[in-house]
Amino acid sequence: MIVAGCDIGSLTTKVVLFDGKKIIASSIIKSKPKPEDGAYEALQQACAIATVNQDNIVYCVGTGYGRKRVPFANNTISEISCHTKGAFYLYPNVRTIIDIGGQDCKVISLNTQGEVDRFVTNDKCAAGTGRFLEVMAKVLKIELQELSNMAKKGNEAITLASACTVWAQADVIKYLNEGISKENIALGVCKSMAKRVGVLVNQASIKRDVCITGGVAKNTAVVKELENLLGVTIVKITNVDPQLTGALGAALFAYQKAGG
Amino acid sequence: MFEEFYTIAQSINNEYIAKVKEQGALCIGYTCSYFPEEILHALGIIPYRIKGLNVSSLSIADAAFGPFICSHPKCLLQHFALGDYSFLDGIIVTPGCDSMRRIDECIRKTAVNLDLPVVPPFFFHYAVPHKITEYSVKWLVEELHRFIDSVSAHFGLSFSYDKLKESIAFYNRLRKRLEELNALRIHYPARIAGADAVAVYVAGLSMPRDRFYGMMESLLSEYTGTALEDRKRLMLIGSANDDIDFIKTVEGETAVVVADTLCYGPRLEVDYVDEEDEPLHALALRYLNHSHCPRMYGGYKQRLAKVVEAIRIAQVEGVVLQNIRFCDLHGAENGLIERDLEKLGIPCLRLEREYGPLADNERMRMRIDAFLERLEVRRLVCERP
Repeated sequence: MIVAGCDIGSLTTKVVLFDGKKIIASSIIKSKPKPEDGAYEALQQACAIATVNQDNIVYCVGTGYGRKRVPFANNTISEISCHTKGAFYLYPNVRTIIDIGGQDCKVISLNTQGEVDRFVTNDKCAAGTGRFLEVMAKVLKIELQELSNMAKKGNEAITLASACTVWAQADVIKYLNEGISKENIALGVCKSMAKRVGVLVNQASIKRDVCITGGVAKNTAVVKELENLLGVTIVKITNVDPQLTGALGAALFAYQKAGG
Repeated sequence: MFEEFYTIAQSINNEYIAKVKEQGALCIGYTCSYFPEEILHALGIIPYRIKGLNVSSLSIADAAFGPFICSHPKCLLQHFALGDYSFLDGIIVTPGCDSMRRIDECIRKTAVNLDLPVVPPFFFHYAVPHKITEYSVKWLVEELHRFIDSVSAHFGLSFSYDKLKESIAFYNRLRKRLEELNALRIHYPARIAGADAVAVYVAGLSMPRDRFYGMMESLLSEYTGTALEDRKRLMLIGSANDDIDFIKTVEGETAVVVADTLCYGPRLEVDYVDEEDEPLHALALRYLNHSHCPRMYGGYKQRLAKVVEAIRIAQVEGVVLQNIRFCDLHGAENGLIERDLEKLGIPCLRLEREYGPLADNERMRMRIDAFLERLEVRRLVCERP
């Protein structure tokens, strides 16, 4: 039996195909203005990788902000539950999940059964989200993926005075104009990001083990700064792209709902 | 059955107000549930609870209030500045909170800055103490006298204690009807959606009360209700809300709001006014004591006890604590309530939101869905052998 999880986020759309034992294929594409188009494209890509026909997918759960717009979904479940499901499947000792997506950040506490106990989300602005890093990378004229490596080469982080993404962008421009190295700016950006996320984590009661999911989990500089700030070792999801955790959780729910 | 209530609740002016105004009646708006409508009713004036619905821009209000303030009073001001409240003959501003108190100056300043005739003919600052003591009740009685003298003199009306006693008795009867309505959503399973109940409450604050009483009687005699089976039973707590769409967002298709402590909500229904007491003293006592609002100092334990009691009576499964951004009163108190309810094993969800059409519904929907999924797991855990 093949099931699917489709996670339509603000920046990327993800699909995971699951056969009850393992992930058989996955895809990550940029989200489209019309969420349905993104969902179809991501599904097509995953199906092509797994060489399965879309008709063979028995059940699909949609998640993410666009979950109601997944045209082929049989059911929808919030990404908080899906990230919890996915992370617990990958790492059953996890009790706190930090999920940093494109436009929001969530901290989820879970119990020993892998069920959501409490959660907090950012609700003031885009500071502490993937969008913040994306904007800063654009100002530095580098690819988002390069930001982490560039930060690792920095040795004297700049300070971003404002939590606001727009004002922080103005700060970065000021530092560039002063001739500060991109590496030190990138390090400052990652530290600033970790600081914003740290505020949210501290609102929740952090329980070990802690893991990080979502696209920003791939930025090792931010993760390292977050570890320093929180004084905990953060489990890195290595066997699956951490950006797929929500879609994986959706696929696991789909498998359950399909009677698997 | 609820369409008419929705129409009235979701618009600023309505045909009922227009009709009585045509006949020469006066209509006075007020901003806070601590103002006793009975006084206006006794004078033959239509009380109107000012709403901030359907504002699409805060261009004027932002300039007057500044950015770091709750969007609810801003929406009220925007309506005033656009002339939407020109049907009001007066306004009573109460220091329910600092933001709402500031609407007094902001309306006047906007009138001057933009040279607009937005200050109603009668303008009264009605102060309400923040403590419940013997002397604060006495003080509030004096404030009620000051108000009666002021409004009577301004409009050339004659005030009568006999009329006030009749109005108090009328409002107690109205409270009884509202209590009957509330019983429908407390019922297990709920027989009325929270959004429908709130539409009735809000409509009641926006039209002549005698007419509303008649509509309530018809509703209660005709409405048999539909059992809302299997819905998660929620309680809603926090900042003022007259936005029925927000209640709908919270309820979705799988939940029902069976209790709330919201301003514009069923606050009017609770705590009857003592008809045997001296009328103004009875009103002062009731209005100072009745409310769930954190504007009152030193009343947290009593408010928490009321919430816990409401949870027990309505068999609430989870509590949604919402506050409008920059609402310090509810923002702070929601944190305490969340802490204490979770200790009692009652799941809570805290939401910070913007008021009205600026609300980020989808982000809120995601959090509410996740909370409802948490409640679903809890149900399943309870069923586990």
